[in-house]
Amino acid sequence: MQTSALSRYIGLIPSSVMIGAFFVIPFVLILLTSVSTPTDDGGYATSFDLQHFERFLTWFYIERALFSAGLCALIAVLSLLIAYPFTYFLTNFPPRTQTYWLIYILAQLSLSEVLIAFSWQILLSRTAGVANILVWIGVIEKSFAMTPSAGAVVAALVYLTVPFSVLLLFPALSRLDKSLIEASRTLGASPLRTFFTVVVPVTRPAIISGGVTVFVLTLGAIIVPQVLGKPEHWTLSVLITDQAIFNFNMPFASALAVVLLVLSATVIWLVTKFSGKKA
Amino acid sequence: MPGLSIKNVTKNFGTVTAVKDVNLQFNTGEMICFLGPSGCGKTTLLRMIAGLDDPTSGAIRFEDQDLTGVPVHQRNIGMVFQSFALFPHLNVGENISYAMRIRGHSRSECEDRARQLLDMVHLPGLEDRKISQLSGGQRQRVAIARALALNPQVFLLDEPMSALDANLREVMQIELRKLQQELGITTVVVTHDQTEAMTMADQIVVMGKAQVLQTGTPMEIYKTPVDKFVAGFIGTSNLLPAKMSGPDGVHVNGVDLTVGGNTGHFSQGDDVLLMTRPEEVFVHHPSDMNVANSVTGTVTFVRDIGATIEILVDCAGHEVISVLTPKDWPDVKVGDQVHVEMPAAACSVLAV
Amino acid sequence: MPTTFSRRRFLGTAAATGAAALAAPSIVSAAQPLKVGTYGGFFEDSFKQFIFPEFTKATGIEVNSVAVPTGETWLVQIKNAARAKTAPADVSLMAGIPRSNGADQKVFKSLDDSKIPNLSNMPDTFKDRYEDGSLYGVGAVSWYITLCTNSDEIPDAPDSWAALWDEQYKDQIGLLGLASNSHMLEVTAATFFGGTDILDTKEGIQQVFDKLSELVPNVRLWYKDEGAFQQALQDGEIPMGQYYHDVAGLAAAEGFPVVSTFPKEGAIVDSGYWIVPEHAKPMDEIHEFINFIAAPETQALLSRNVGTSPVIDPALTDLTAEELAAVSSPKAPIIPRYDIYKDHGNWISDTWSQMIAG
Repeated sequence: MQTSALSRYIGLIPSSVMIGAFFVIPFVLILLTSVSTPTDDGGYATSFDLQHFERFLTWFYIERALFSAGLCALIAVLSLLIAYPFTYFLTNFPPRTQTYWLIYILAQLSLSEVLIAFSWQILLSRTAGVANILVWIGVIEKSFAMTPSAGAVVAALVYLTVPFSVLLLFPALSRLDKSLIEASRTLGASPLRTFFTVVVPVTRPAIISGGVTVFVLTLGAIIVPQVLGKPEHWTLSVLITDQAIFNFNMPFASALAVVLLVLSATVIWLVTKFSGKKA
Repeated sequence: MPGLSIKNVTKNFGTVTAVKDVNLQFNTGEMICFLGPSGCGKTTLLRMIAGLDDPTSGAIRFEDQDLTGVPVHQRNIGMVFQSFALFPHLNVGENISYAMRIRGHSRSECEDRARQLLDMVHLPGLEDRKISQLSGGQRQRVAIARALALNPQVFLLDEPMSALDANLREVMQIELRKLQQELGITTVVVTHDQTEAMTMADQIVVMGKAQVLQTGTPMEIYKTPVDKFVAGFIGTSNLLPAKMSGPDGVHVNGVDLTVGGNTGHFSQGDDVLLMTRPEEVFVHHPSDMNVANSVTGTVTFVRDIGATIEILVDCAGHEVISVLTPKDWPDVKVGDQVHVEMPAAACSVLAV
Repeated sequence: MPTTFSRRRFLGTAAATGAAALAAPSIVSAAQPLKVGTYGGFFEDSFKQFIFPEFTKATGIEVNSVAVPTGETWLVQIKNAARAKTAPADVSLMAGIPRSNGADQKVFKSLDDSKIPNLSNMPDTFKDRYEDGSLYGVGAVSWYITLCTNSDEIPDAPDSWAALWDEQYKDQIGLLGLASNSHMLEVTAATFFGGTDILDTKEGIQQVFDKLSELVPNVRLWYKDEGAFQQALQDGEIPMGQYYHDVAGLAAAEGFPVVSTFPKEGAIVDSGYWIVPEHAKPMDEIHEFINFIAAPETQALLSRNVGTSPVIDPALTDLTAEELAAVSSPKAPIIPRYDIYKDHGNWISDTWSQMIAG
C-alpha cells in the first residue's frame, strides 16, 4: 500500500514541477519586482518598497482599473448574450451539425487577437469598411470611419470572445436534461417562458463561470483596445505593456500586473460567493 | 362519457414507424395503462397525447375538443416524467406551484396550493426542501403533485415507477390508483411492468411493434389474451401445441381435452396452442386414476415457498407450471409421472 | 506592407533577437569579426546589404551583425552582460533616452577622439561626452519626423506645427502614442514657448503639457504601430499627423497623395548613436568602424539606401540637392530633450497617459 501511494505521487511530480516552474516562480518574481526599489544605476533592487503601488493610487490609474473592469464585464455580458441563445439552438441540432459548428468555432480560436484587431480596423475604416455598404444601399451619404471608437473596441472584443463563450456554454447546455424543458411546457409555459424560467436558471453555473472566464480573458486583451480604441479606451493591460516595453519600468509594470491580478481574483471571488449563495 | 380518443394515429421518425394506425377510445375518469416491451411505441403515443410529439397522421381528441396541433403549453395536461424532471433550481414548493406561477397566480395562492398538494401526496411540510435533498419516492410524489397543480383534464405518467425500488413501487402503485380514483381524472400510465398495469388500470392497452395488440380490462386480457405474445406478456402461461378435434375439443399429447373458453374462428384440424394459467392447473399424484381433462408428465422441479407451491412438469417436451395452495398439495416428487389436470373452464386456444 | 515601413517597428522581433544575441558567448578576439549592433529589421537589413560589405572591403575587417532592440531593453542587456564582464556587441546603435541613462551609469566605454578623424565633419550635437569631456557616443544616423498631410484631403499643407491645434482638424490627426517617441513636448515648446528651454523645469513641462492638452480633441489616433498610421494617412482616413520624413517621401514616390512638410519651427530630428559597451575588446577595429561610418561617402550611402539624414555637414557629401531634400532640410531642427524623460520619466509618462486618455 505504501509503495502504491508513493508511486501515485511520483506520477504527479512532473506536472507539479512544471506548474511550479512555469506559473508559481514567474508570479513570485513579478511580486518581488513590484515591491523592489529603484537603484542609482537605473536598475532595481529587492526590497519592500510600496512606491509603485502608491503611484497606482492616483485617480488616473484607479479610473483605468475601474474602466477595465467595467469594459470587461460589459464584454462578458454581451458575449454571453450572443453566445447563449446560439449555443442553446446548437444543442438542438443533429449531432453531425453540432460537430461541424464546433469545429468551425474552435477554428475561430486560432485567429489571434492581432489578426482580429487589424481585420476589424479594415472592416470599420472609411475607405474599405462597412460604411461603404451603407452608402451603397443609401442609408448614409458619405462613408465615415468607425474606428477608433468605443463601439469598435466592444465589437472586436465581443467577436473575439464569442467563440470562447460558446465552447464554455456548450457542455452545460448539451447536458441539460431535455425533460426539464418538456416538463415546463406541459406545465403551461411557452417555449420562450421555458427558456427564461428553466433553461437559463438551470445552466446558471455555466453562465457564471463562462462570464468570469470571458471577463478574465478580456482583461488580458492589449491589441484590440490599442488598435481600435482611443487612449480613453485603453485598459490596464495596455498600460502594463507601455510600462514594461516602452518605458522599461518593470517594477511599476509588475505592480500594475499585481493590481490586475487582484482585480480579477476579487471579481472571481465575489462572483462565486454571490452566486454560490443564491444557487 | 367518451373521454380521450385516438383516431388513426401514426407516427414516423424518418423511415422508422414508431406508432402505426392506432385507434383507441376511453371514458372520462378511466385509468389506462399502455403496456408493452421497450420500443413498442407506448411512450411515443403518450408523448403525442401530451403534445410533445406531433402525429404524422391521425387525430387525438379529448371529449369534444380536438387536441391535434394544439401546442403543449395550451393543452390542459399534467405529466410525470420517467426522470421526474423536477427543476433543480427551485425548491419543492416552487416546483409544485410552477404552473400556477406561469399562469400569474399570486404568491399566497401558489403557497396554499403547494401545501394542499403536498398534503395530498403525503409530504406535508416539505415546501422549502431542495430537490437534491429528497429521496426517490419523495421526488415522485412531488412530481405527481406538480403535474396535478392545475387540475389537468388528462394526467400522463411515463414509466413513473421505474426509478423506485421494488417495495416502494408496490406502495406507490396502490397510492397512485387511490389518488386517481379520488380525483376521477383521466389518467394514462406507460409501463412495461404487467403487475403495475394489472394493479392500477381500468383499461390496459397491450402494445407491440408499434401497434395495439389488445385493449381490455386487466381480467379480460389475463383470461382471454388474443395471442401468445399477449399471453406471455401478461402473467405466466402454459402453452401446449394442440390440434382442434371438435368445436370445443383439442387433441394434445395423445389425449382429447375439452376447452371451456372461446374457440372462436378455429375449425377442426387447425394447429393451435392450448393455453392455461398456472394457478388453474392442478397436479395429481400418479396413483390418482381417472383424472378428467388431464395430460401426463414428469415432475422436474418443486418449489415450495410456503404460501404457494410451484410444480414444474415436463409434458412431452413442453413445460407446464402449476401453482397450488398447500391444501391441494398432491405429495409428488421430482421424477414422478403425474396427471396434470386442466379443467375445461381453464383452457383456451390461441393461434400458433 | 513593404518592409520599408517596418524599420522602426520597435521591439517585437528585435527584442527577441537581441536576447538571443545576449545568450551567445561573446569572447572577442582580433581574429573574430567585429560585432556590430543595429536595430533589428529594416536598419539591420540595410546595413548588412549596403554598409558592412563596404566596410570590409575598405578595412579587411569582417562584420558580424547583431539585431538589437531600440528601447531600454538593450541597455539592460548591456548592463547584465557587463556583470558577466562581457559585451553583447562591440559597437552598437542606441537611442537617446537609454543612451542618456547608460551614460549616467557609465556603462559605455570612452572613445579616443584622435582615432576618429572624421569626427571633425560632425557638429558637436552628434558627439556625446561624459562630464570629464571624454567621448562615449558618436552620431551614426539621424532622421526627421515632420508634419505629414494627405494632399487630397488637405490640398494646402500647413507650414507650422500650430496647425495641429487648429480646430478645423478636429478628430483628424495622428500622433505617436508615447511622450518619449512623439517628442510633442519639444514640438509644443518650440512652437509656443520659443524653444525647448522651458522644459528645464517640471513647472515648465507642466505649462507645456497644459498647452499640448488643447490639441487632444483633434487627435484621432495615438499610434504605436507606424503601419496603421501610414495606411490611414495614405487613404486619407487620418489626413494629418507627425510621421517619418523619409518614409513619407517613399510613399509619395509610389504615388500616394502624401506630403511631408518641414514646419517653420523645425522638424523633430531623432538619431541613433554608436556606443561601445564597457567590456568590448577590439578597440582599434571599433574606432575604425565608427570613423568609417562618419565618412562623407558612407553618410551619402546611408542617405541614398537607408533614407537617413547625414550626421555630418551635408556639404561634405556628394548628395545632390534633391537627394538631400529627400532625407533632410536645412531648417534648424527640434532636438529632442532626452534628459527630461530620464529626470521626470514616470511623471511625464503618467501625465501623458492621462492627457491622451482625455
